[in-house]
Amino acid sequence: MATYHLKTPLSQTDVEQLRIGDVVYVSGDAFTCRSRLHRWVLDEGHALPQAGKDRDLLIHVGPIVLREENRFKLVSFMPTSSIRFEKWGARAVEQWGLRMIIGKTTMGQETMDMMKEKKCVHVSPQCVSPNSWVQNIDITDVELFDELGTIEATWSMTVKELGPFVVDIDCQGNNLYKNHEKEVDEARDKALKALGIDPDFQYTKLY
Amino acid sequence: MISREIYEEVIFQAIAKGATTIAPDIRQGFENAIRRETKPAAKEGLEKTYGSILRSAELRNPACPDTGWPIFYFKVGNECRLEGGMMALEEATRSAVRRATREGFLRSTMKHPLTGFDPGDNIGSNVPNFTYQFVPGDSMEVTYVAKGGGSECFGGTRHRVVAFADGVKGIEKFVIDSFVEATRSGGICPPNVLGIGIGGTANIAANLAKEAACLRTLGSKNPDPQFARIEEDLYKALNSLGVGIMGIGGDTSVLGVHVEYAYTHIAGICVAISSNCMVARRGSFRITADGTVEEMDSPDWFGGR
Repeated sequence: MATYHLKTPLSQTDVEQLRIGDVVYVSGDAFTCRSRLHRWVLDEGHALPQAGKDRDLLIHVGPIVLREENRFKLVSFMPTSSIRFEKWGARAVEQWGLRMIIGKTTMGQETMDMMKEKKCVHVSPQCVSPNSWVQNIDITDVELFDELGTIEATWSMTVKELGPFVVDIDCQGNNLYKNHEKEVDEARDKALKALGIDPDFQYTKLY
Repeated sequence: MISREIYEEVIFQAIAKGATTIAPDIRQGFENAIRRETKPAAKEGLEKTYGSILRSAELRNPACPDTGWPIFYFKVGNECRLEGGMMALEEATRSAVRRATREGFLRSTMKHPLTGFDPGDNIGSNVPNFTYQFVPGDSMEVTYVAKGGGSECFGGTRHRVVAFADGVKGIEKFVIDSFVEATRSGGICPPNVLGIGIGGTANIAANLAKEAACLRTLGSKNPDPQFARIEEDLYKALNSLGVGIMGIGGDTSVLGVHVEYAYTHIAGICVAISSNCMVARRGSFRITADGTVEEMDSPDWFGGR
C-alpha cells in the first residue's frame, strides 16, 4: 500500500497507478453531487452545471454551508454513501469525464466496469471526522441552489491536501470491500454456530 | 406553569447539544473500542472519528453533517402544565428546529418523499416527529435524537415476523444476517448501537428498537435475564464478525446491543432492529415546574437504563 498526493486535473496515469488499499490526498478543483443532480442531468436532460464540465473530481457529499455576506462558510463536510447513486454511476463516469469520486461505502458492478474502461477510481474515508476536512476546503461557487436546495446544489470547491482517503475501487476492477466480505461471511457462520444456530437454518415460512 | 419562552429555548438547546456532542456513555464506548482495537487502520479510524466528535463539541458544529431525522421524545409529568398546552409544545419544537437549521446546527435534510422538494428548514408532514411518555410529577423532560440516514437507510433498520416454532434462534439469526448485510462496505456507519424490539405489531417492535438504539444508556442491561442474555450473546456474536469501523475490518462492530420487548400475538413474534451510527447523538434536558433547567446525561427513557 502506497500513499499518493495528487493534483487535479487528474491524468490517466495518476489514477491507473492506484490500487485498492492505497492512500490518497488530493488538491485542486472539485464539484459535489447527490441524487437530485444525477436525476436532473441524466434523467431529465438538463445540462451539467459548469463546475462539472470543468472538473474531473466529483465528491458525493451534502455539506452544511452557511451563506454569509460575500462568502460561503463551510460548517461541516463528510462524504456520503455512493451506492445509492449506482443507477447513474456508469453514465456519470462516462459522460462527465470523471477520474476520481470521493464518496462513502462503495459502488456496484456496472459503475466498476465503466471505471475500469474509462480509468476512474472511487475513494472513501475510513472514519467519520468532518472536522478533519473543513479547513482543507474553500467553497468558490454554487449552481442550482434555487432549483435543488442547499445540500443537493452543485458546490464548486478548491481543496488542498484533502484526505486521507483509501482507494476502494481501482481501475483494474478490484473492490476493497469485496475481499473483506468473504472474511465476514466466514465469521458469520462461526458466530451462528456459537449461538447454537445452524448456518443453513430455515425460518418457518410465514409469508 | 412552564413558560413557552423557557421550553422553546430548552428544546433548541437540546438540539444544539444533541447535534454537536455525544453523551458520556457513548464517549466511554469509543474509549473502550479504541483501547481494545488490535487492527491499526481501525484504531486510527476510531481515534480520528472520536477526535472529530470532541472537536465539534468545542466548535459547536455538527458532529456529523448528516443531522438526520429530527425526532423528539417527551417525558411529561401528569401534573405538568405548559403555557399554551401540548399543541404549543409541538409548535415551539418546530420553531426550535427552524432556528437550529438557520444557525447551522442542523443540515436541511428533510425533503418531500416524491418530489424531493427541500423546504430548507426540516419541517414537513410528520417531521419533526414526537413520542410521549406520561409519568408522575410536574416536570417535563425533552430528548432530541439526530437519527442519521446511513444507519436508517442501508439495511440497519428493518423487521421480520418470526414463528414461535423458531423462537430465540429465529430472532438471533435475523439480527446477525441483517447486520452482516447492512454493514457491507460500511453502509450503516459501524460500530453501531443496535436496538432490538421483540413482540408487538410491526410498528410497536420498530419503535421499541429505535428507542433501545437511541435512548438507552450504552452498556445498560435489560433487567429481565432472558432478554439480558440475548443482549449479551448478540453483543459477543456481532463483535466476532470482524466488521470494524466503516466495515473495513476490526474488533468492534457494535458498541452495544439493547433489547426491549412487548407482549405479542399468539400467531408470531415481530422482531425489529434499529441501528444507530457510531456518532450516536442525543440531547436531554429536564424542566421543573418552577422553570429550573437541568442538563441530563441520559434520557432514562426506560427507567434505570
